[in-house]
Amino acid sequence: MLSLPELGVYFSLLLFLVGLFGVMCRKGILLMMLSIEIMLNAANLAFVSASVLTNTMDGQVIMFFVMAVAACEAGVGLALVVSIYRARATVETDDLRMLRG
Amino acid sequence: MLTEISFLIMGVFAVFLSLLLITRKWPVTAAMLLVVVMMLIAGMYGLLGAHFSAVAQIIVYAGAIMVVFIFVIMLLNIPAKELNYGRLTIMEIVLSVAGVVVALVLGTKVGQGHLLSSLNILSQSHARAPYYPAEMNENVKNVAALMFTDYLWAFELISFLILSSIIGAVVIAKKEKVSDVKPT
Repeated sequence: MLSLPELGVYFSLLLFLVGLFGVMCRKGILLMMLSIEIMLNAANLAFVSASVLTNTMDGQVIMFFVMAVAACEAGVGLALVVSIYRARATVETDDLRMLRG
Repeated sequence: MLTEISFLIMGVFAVFLSLLLITRKWPVTAAMLLVVVMMLIAGMYGLLGAHFSAVAQIIVYAGAIMVVFIFVIMLLNIPAKELNYGRLTIMEIVLSVAGVVVALVLGTKVGQGHLLSSLNILSQSHARAPYYPAEMNENVKNVAALMFTDYLWAFELISFLILSSIIGAVVIAKKEKVSDVKPT
């Protein structure tokens, strides 16, 4: 039987894969950003599990920092989404070909 | 034993609901599912003994960030014909399955203690106070003691990052340029 923090590392791996899968298969920017949030949560879970495994608190402090950076990322990213939707009337990444991507 | 079982149930539900999330058509449904996933992850933090992380997860993620997400989704009001499901080609599916297998093999190596034993050596060389709390609020005290000593500069820099991102979000999402606004 695995211990609790080891199980947490496994679940963080699975959650990260699900988030990566979401970024790969979705075309809408909003769903892609939600998948990015899943990946950030998976990284946080790995940090906290490692912190419990090693009997140190560093992982939980860094988890708080990651959370703050995720809040910044969501704010700026959603502002970009609003601005793009105003200019192009779409948020599908297939239709946003201004840079010939 | 009950702790392990509830941790397992929470983790399985979190993975299952996030799989459900990335296949939804409507963004609001996906955002609500993400709130549930974050609550489940907060429960996992609580079972791990990281009480501060659990409460911060609920307040910051499920509270603040998801409210911003849902606000923007409803503000955009994308018509239903522009929404669609995720789609993958055969090649992408094959490559994804291969990636999952590789990641599971690597993860099993971690679980067998290759990486974790080196982490353990690292923690022994640091030799901080033992982690598991005797009382409930010991966890918060330990986090604060580390955050405001070793990580004080990072903490201050994060506050500047948040300030600059607030200004950036306002500038990016603003409708007209400042020079275009007529004085009234």
